Amino acid sequence: MAAAAALRSRRFKWSLDLGAAPGARPRGAAEGRGPLGFADRQLGEGGVHESDKILMEKRCWDVALAPLKQIPMNLFIMYMAGNTISIFPAMMVCMMGWRPLQALMSLSATLKALESSSRRALQGLVFLVGNGLGLALALYKCQAMGLLPTRPSDWLAFVTPPQRMEFTGGGLIL
Amino acid sequence: MGMGGGMCPGAVSGVRGPAPTFAVPLGFRHGSAVLSGPRAARGLPGAGGAAPRAACALPAALRRFLRAGGGAGCPAVQKAPPVPGPLSWRRGRGRCCCRFWCCCLWPPPSTRTKWASSTGERRGSRRVGSPLPWAGPAPAAPLPPRSHFTGAPVPSRRRQQYVGKLKFASLEASQGSKKLVVATEENVVAALNSRSGEILWRHVDKGTPEGAVDAMLIHGQDAITVSNAGRILRSWETNIGGLNWETSLDTGSFQGAALVGLPEAVKYVAVLKKAALSLHYLSNGHQKWVEQLPESESTQYQLLYSRGTGVIHVVGIVPQSHLNVLTFNVEDGEITKQVRVAAPWLGALQGCCAVVGEAVLVCVDTAARSLHVCALDTEQDMRNIPLQSLELEFADDFQARILATQPSVTSASRTQFFLQLSPSHFSLLQYKQGLLSHLRDFQQAALVSFATTGEKTVAAVLTCRSELKPGSSDGLHAGSTLEDARRQDSLTCSNQTYNINLYLVETGQRLLDTTITFNLEQGGARPQQLYIQVFLKKDDSVGYRALVQTEDHMLMFLQQPGKVVWSREESLAEVVSLEMVDLPLTGAQAELEGEFGKKADGLLGMFLKRLSSQLILLQAWTAHLWKMFYDARKPRSQIKNEINIDNLARDEFNLQKMMVMVTASGKLFGIESSSGTILWKQYLRNVKPGSSFKLMVQRTTAHFPHPPQCTLLVKDKETKMSFLYVFNPIFGKRSQVAPPVLKRPILQTLLLPIMDQDYAKVLLLIDDEYKVTPFPATKNVLRQLEEIAHSIYFYLVDAEQGKLSGFRLKKDLSTEESWEVAIPTEVQRIVTVKGKRSNEHVHSQGRVMGDRSVLYKSLNPNLLAVVTESTDTHHERTFIGIYLMDGVTGRIIHSSVQKKAKGPVHMVHSENWVVYQYWNTKARRNEFTVLELYEGTEQYNATAFSSLDRPILPQVLQQSYIFPSAISAMEATITERGITSRHLLIGLPSGAILSLPKALLDPRRPEIPTEQSREENLIPYSPDVQIHAERFINYNQTISRMRGIYTAPSGLESTCLVVAYGLDIFQTRVYPSKQFDVLKDDYDYVLISSVLFGLVFATMITKRLAQVKLLNRAWR
Repeated sequence: MAAAAALRSRRFKWSLDLGAAPGARPRGAAEGRGPLGFADRQLGEGGVHESDKILMEKRCWDVALAPLKQIPMNLFIMYMAGNTISIFPAMMVCMMGWRPLQALMSLSATLKALESSSRRALQGLVFLVGNGLGLALALYKCQAMGLLPTRPSDWLAFVTPPQRMEFTGGGLIL
Repeated sequence: MGMGGGMCPGAVSGVRGPAPTFAVPLGFRHGSAVLSGPRAARGLPGAGGAAPRAACALPAALRRFLRAGGGAGCPAVQKAPPVPGPLSWRRGRGRCCCRFWCCCLWPPPSTRTKWASSTGERRGSRRVGSPLPWAGPAPAAPLPPRSHFTGAPVPSRRRQQYVGKLKFASLEASQGSKKLVVATEENVVAALNSRSGEILWRHVDKGTPEGAVDAMLIHGQDAITVSNAGRILRSWETNIGGLNWETSLDTGSFQGAALVGLPEAVKYVAVLKKAALSLHYLSNGHQKWVEQLPESESTQYQLLYSRGTGVIHVVGIVPQSHLNVLTFNVEDGEITKQVRVAAPWLGALQGCCAVVGEAVLVCVDTAARSLHVCALDTEQDMRNIPLQSLELEFADDFQARILATQPSVTSASRTQFFLQLSPSHFSLLQYKQGLLSHLRDFQQAALVSFATTGEKTVAAVLTCRSELKPGSSDGLHAGSTLEDARRQDSLTCSNQTYNINLYLVETGQRLLDTTITFNLEQGGARPQQLYIQVFLKKDDSVGYRALVQTEDHMLMFLQQPGKVVWSREESLAEVVSLEMVDLPLTGAQAELEGEFGKKADGLLGMFLKRLSSQLILLQAWTAHLWKMFYDARKPRSQIKNEINIDNLARDEFNLQKMMVMVTASGKLFGIESSSGTILWKQYLRNVKPGSSFKLMVQRTTAHFPHPPQCTLLVKDKETKMSFLYVFNPIFGKRSQVAPPVLKRPILQTLLLPIMDQDYAKVLLLIDDEYKVTPFPATKNVLRQLEEIAHSIYFYLVDAEQGKLSGFRLKKDLSTEESWEVAIPTEVQRIVTVKGKRSNEHVHSQGRVMGDRSVLYKSLNPNLLAVVTESTDTHHERTFIGIYLMDGVTGRIIHSSVQKKAKGPVHMVHSENWVVYQYWNTKARRNEFTVLELYEGTEQYNATAFSSLDRPILPQVLQQSYIFPSAISAMEATITERGITSRHLLIGLPSGAILSLPKALLDPRRPEIPTEQSREENLIPYSPDVQIHAERFINYNQTISRMRGIYTAPSGLESTCLVVAYGLDIFQTRVYPSKQFDVLKDDYDYVLISSVLFGLVFATMITKRLAQVKLLNRAWR
């Protein structure tokens, strides 16, 4: 947005001063009386540009901090959902895990958006950490719900029967 | 190693009493029953069988997720009908969903034909081998219509009913009669339909000698039986099998029974005991009188005779001294006459003497070659009639016998009688008015019999068409000395063709056109009993039917001129051993398989061979398709495709198998399991009654060019000698492989997992010198044996001496005793020893706890469970002992003594558990105890199991339950991979088979359910296990006197084949975890396929529409 405004101000070299009193007579030609809204001093660049920059910076920080801001909300949802496995908590955990993943996958696009910022490295890092935290939180939730194959019982199906070293047989005498 | 020494039960360590806690409020019990209901209904494996879940080989986490999600998402699962509910079977059209789906597209032709076949031939129709249908009416609910589709897991359950070997039989003497009444050695009184051989009604008495039928008399529509050693007199209505009356008689050993007639009617039945004679009314069984017999201590009264004259003659014998003839008055039981007749040459009455004509006692004196006669009414002495004048020759070493007939009890006997001079020589004689005349001689006669219709009495003689020869010349040579011992009394008919002829008794003339010719199988059994049903035809000529029972307990009902109306294989009432063998592949499949068996002959050759076999497959498939279309037009009942030995082939799920049955009579049967058709039978004639059998499958059908091979070890109880019979279990043919000749008695056998080059498993035979004979004994086998000899152990249990001993095989095939455990026989005796089944697979090595740790099972393949019973049977002191021992080291892993408990103990030993049932004499009820063995949360050695290296004893968990009924047999289900949860199949004395989930007998059932136990799906403990009628897998098809249950895995993991045998044979399939690998019966093929096609169609249409729209937009 800021960039678009700058562009516009450069292309249209005149401006209309609507501040002039309507009944006032126009000033003398010597003064270089121009058309309506004409200002003889060049439009200052500094003021407008300065505020845009601040805005952009702010905007970039918003983007970078968004994942971190999600975390308290997620914590609350997690607490509310509980550890039982049913369809809604499962969906929530999925979403919680999926969103940071998605964000991390589109990391390059986000970094591009942060290009204009002066502290984009820091912002990128914060963004990464935030998503990582979100992911860790989802994993923790999975763990708490018992969805992670971390225990020996989860791998029981793959335990092969031990090989028999001796062979025996017999029974009651016929 | 020597664990020897007196193992006193009291001193045994780790004694655990029965664990049940009975102080449980009723409500709790009730609650648990409710809880167990839906669990069973859903077929959930419970905690014990975490297996089906593990089947998917998904990480447990995902499974948990799926399970939980599914449970919440579809509560309808809870409403599923109970597992074996008869109403839940609608149409057996299930299809396997996962690995066999392609079969739908390419079904092997043979299976289709087979299944369709069973529809038509269910009832009555003749079959190959045996015309016997699976008898009994179709049950009301459980038998569903047979599926039209192939290989569909139709719940098949079939029962065959038997009566056993005949003891007494009665055929009515009229042409239109439909029934024959029999009493058998199996303590059964039954009526058979003489048209079809089906059982009209059957009463099964106790299997013990208490139920034995001692005599059967027929009077009109009533059959009078004496059973329980003369204690019980019963009268049966023979048309419907109802009991008219029953009276109990006084004690005393039973000698004989006879109907007693007055001149006008038969009113009484007389029962002769050792010391008394009693007379009972036929109408109500009331006793008319009972009289003590004089001198009953020294005299053996054996013969009872009356002929409607108002008196009863009783003949008693003092061996080698004299006869005592008593005459009783029928009205008041007074002894009107008592005569002592000197007979110093006579040893016994039975067989030697008979009453002919007007109460003339005729006795044969084999030594003096003469007859002695004495009129019971008038004479005081016996007259000697020498037989030399008649030119009758007595055989050496044969006790001559007399056979007479009395057509009606109200009139005199016939004056004609048979004299048997040698095993195959009979002579028809007549004694009339003091004169003995010779009517006819019968050489080469095997059996004789009299029959009467109206005024005519005929003699039926069964003769061999060719010469009777001693010894079994064409019989089976089992290569043993057993055969010689039998040679003496055996006479065989060389071509097994027999004739029955009728002769008029008055003259001895042969009646014209009365010959019945019939054939018995080659090498088969001889006829043993002959019963004749004779009737007058419209033209006054004599017609007859004959009932022949052969040595192998086969009943044949014959009609003129030699047609077998029906036959029954009654030896199947005594099945002693059973194995199920896979059926062979079809010809086309075999062709394909054979490709891999043969040696490669170049790339091109192999390619051509492959092409040709594929072509054969295609051909078979088109033929199958054509047949399907052709059959589809016909009504289902007309489609007949009999299963016979030629079209026998495996179905795609391996649900049909060959049941190889060994019966006590020595007859082997091959029965196709789904239809019950007897496909082959083989009689081993040199098997003595009471032999012990062991049947082993040495080679299965999996090794195609080589035929499958079964080996039967038969050991005679008396001579201790044994022989091997090797045969092909599919075709019943004796194998070409020569079994080793066994010179010494065999104590046990051991089937090793190693194979010879022909894929036959090696059988080790241990003789009484503890030497080992391998079979087959090729060089290859001996080399392999030498290599692995150090790891082969065997154990022998001598119940008589109370000794268990273990042996180790040495390289030279001798053995060395490695351990011995003595169980003092004066305190307790060993009753059962059970190892594990060798074909058992355990899929899951442990159980998942509530905290998600693993409790590993202690799966010792060498574990033995030994049950002992105390010799003291007093109810306060009686006990049973359970010992779990390692068969390799003899180490006692667990032992417990259950006080105030009594056998018979039934036990199942499988996986890591032992379940046994006993009678609790204190509480007077039946109880189950379950033992489970666990290693703990860590496995000692996860890769190899060696009994020699087990430093840690397993943990033993134990729990007991009350069972409301006694049981007669028990077995656990078994499946291919062991994934399906296990059920116990419990045969009840009522004839039902209860399928009880093992999860109900789980020692980890908590008394107070916790979060973790709920997580584990453990059912809270309740002491009583209930019998729910919906868990009966045989519904109303009860199995009389069940002796055993056999289970076998099928090709479907969910399905276990079950055969129960006793007096009846019953086959079915069970699905312990429901049919999780098969699509449901009500699977909506139409809806799903129409949705699928609809979507495809819609996709095509929308694609086209989108194209058109794009084009239009481009033009704009």
